Amino acid sequence: MHRMKNYTHFFMSAPKGCRFTHVTAPLKREHVSASLTAARLFSPGDLEDAEPDYSFSCYSQLEVNGSQHLLRCAFDDPDVNSTHLGFEICDGLLVAGCLNFIKLQEIYFIETNKFLLIGDSKICVKLGQRILTCRKMNIVHIVKPEAPFDVRVIYREEANDFVVTFNTSHLQKKYVKNLIHEVAYHQEKNEHDWMHVNLSSTKLTLLQRKLQPDAMYEIKVRSIPTDYYKGFWSEWSPSFHFRTPEAKGPGKMEPVLLIISILSFFSVAVMVILAGVLWKKRIKPIVWPSLPDHKKTLEQLCKKPKKNLTVSFNPESFLDCQIHKVDGIQARDEVESFLQDTFPAQLEESEKQRLGGGVQCPNWPSKHAVITPKTFRGDASLRCLAGNVSVCGTPVLPSSRSPECREGGKNGPHVYQGLLLGPGTTNATLHPPFPFQSEILTLNPAAQGQLLLTPLGSNQEEAYVTMSSFYQNQ
Amino acid sequence: MFHVSFRYIFGIPPLILVLLPVASSDCEIEGKSGEEYQHVIMVSLNDLDRIRENDSNCLNNEPNFFKKHSCDDDKEATFLKTAARKLKQFLKMNIHEEFKLHLSIVSQGTLKLLNCTRKDKEKKQPSLGEVQPTKNLEEKKSSKGQKKQDEMCFLMILLEKIKTCWNKILSGTKEH
Repeated sequence: MHRMKNYTHFFMSAPKGCRFTHVTAPLKREHVSASLTAARLFSPGDLEDAEPDYSFSCYSQLEVNGSQHLLRCAFDDPDVNSTHLGFEICDGLLVAGCLNFIKLQEIYFIETNKFLLIGDSKICVKLGQRILTCRKMNIVHIVKPEAPFDVRVIYREEANDFVVTFNTSHLQKKYVKNLIHEVAYHQEKNEHDWMHVNLSSTKLTLLQRKLQPDAMYEIKVRSIPTDYYKGFWSEWSPSFHFRTPEAKGPGKMEPVLLIISILSFFSVAVMVILAGVLWKKRIKPIVWPSLPDHKKTLEQLCKKPKKNLTVSFNPESFLDCQIHKVDGIQARDEVESFLQDTFPAQLEESEKQRLGGGVQCPNWPSKHAVITPKTFRGDASLRCLAGNVSVCGTPVLPSSRSPECREGGKNGPHVYQGLLLGPGTTNATLHPPFPFQSEILTLNPAAQGQLLLTPLGSNQEEAYVTMSSFYQNQ
Repeated sequence: MFHVSFRYIFGIPPLILVLLPVASSDCEIEGKSGEEYQHVIMVSLNDLDRIRENDSNCLNNEPNFFKKHSCDDDKEATFLKTAARKLKQFLKMNIHEEFKLHLSIVSQGTLKLLNCTRKDKEKKQPSLGEVQPTKNLEEKKSSKGQKKQDEMCFLMILLEKIKTCWNKILSGTKEH
């Protein structure tokens, strides 16, 4: 009732020449049927005499041809007999009065630059000079943009994405410049599975991982005005088709890169093996040369006898030994005389054994070890009593004798055992298994392992020097 | 004394009622949001500047028109209405069609947005030659080309004043 009351009042106030007029149609409704108003006023039985439906819809396109605008209208009902029907637009123009549309088949349009683009206009359907129906519209609220064009898709392999670009004529227009573009794409085999993306610029990036590999895609674009100008979606742009590349395997690599990686691996493996094999003998001595340790070297030189032989430079090992200062020259003379007197018989026996056996000390050097007289000087000399051989070990040097020779007692080297018997050693008895000759013992570098040197007290430095020079010669 | 009170009671109030509409503005600015101005009128103003940018040989003398009409506070609508009507006179000049089109948009668009309720009988606007009476004698002496040049200079100043007044209205709206 309320609605009928309003319509009734409206009908009565219709201007002369109009059967009825409409209040401004809602902006979102494209199709406002003027005749529906009449239908509501009458009962269903009276519809047979009702006026035909002259509802129409319009849209505008601004600056389609330079500064010329286009306004296009058409009846919603295709069955309307539009033979003598016409359209006109009034208000909202730069000129006084109204402008008539041009009819082209069933379409009515007007192309002009006389639109004010501010305020509402009134578009009427007229039969001759008689106005049938009118509709108030705002030209800037029914804008339909031109369709975008030149859609292109470029694949960027380095970025693994697709760059979609398109063009629109509205970029060069003065009025309708701000548009919202809708990009729609789908896999061609999925006809209805469209993806939509809205953007305000003319460039879009699609990630490759979001698309199916080795598939054919179709993409298209359309636009709609925004901000001050409002209206409808444009027509879709021509579609563009593109194919996505095949998916790369998880371990797929380029052949060149594969060969290089294999060669690098084997090279590294060979280098590691060689480094491990040659580390001890070749690499480490160069990288980390070991400094000579004289004590250890001497210990190595003095091979431990099998029995009770202690070779050490630790003075504590010789606490049981009595250390007496010896005059080198006197000692030598005494030893010579002592030896000549004491062991002549033993010497003959040993010589016989030696000569008989014909055994040579295998490792006996051809040269003779020499102990310089200097070695017999000094404040202290180490002597060992025969009874304390177990503690002191065999002194020695002049035992340039091999353990076998010593034990065998048969074939001994002709050595001069410049030993070292002092006054305090009366009880000491030595059993030189070999005959001694007053020969100078020379230190033979070749007999490093066989020689035993007596470190003579104060001449340690000289022995040390000798030893170091010995080591250097080595 | 009784007569005096009658005079004040029945004389002055009607006088106030008569004078009140004159003092108040009869135009209401509808386009205070600035959308219509920014997307339609300003486009035409910029095009007019572009068309006339090469012709800027204008004197700095401000015509008398602007001494009478200015975009003062609370008088913006009145000034715009006057200026918009003044623009219509230039449509009769022999000027380029595109120039006329943009002049029409500025003129009628401004009037549309002002939504003046009282349709004043458009007073016959003095012709462009009478706008500056002080120059009337000078125009007689100058050539027609100089006359046209002066009119164009006046037009450019008028358009600049209209633009300034619109910006003043819209900036004042934004502040509120």
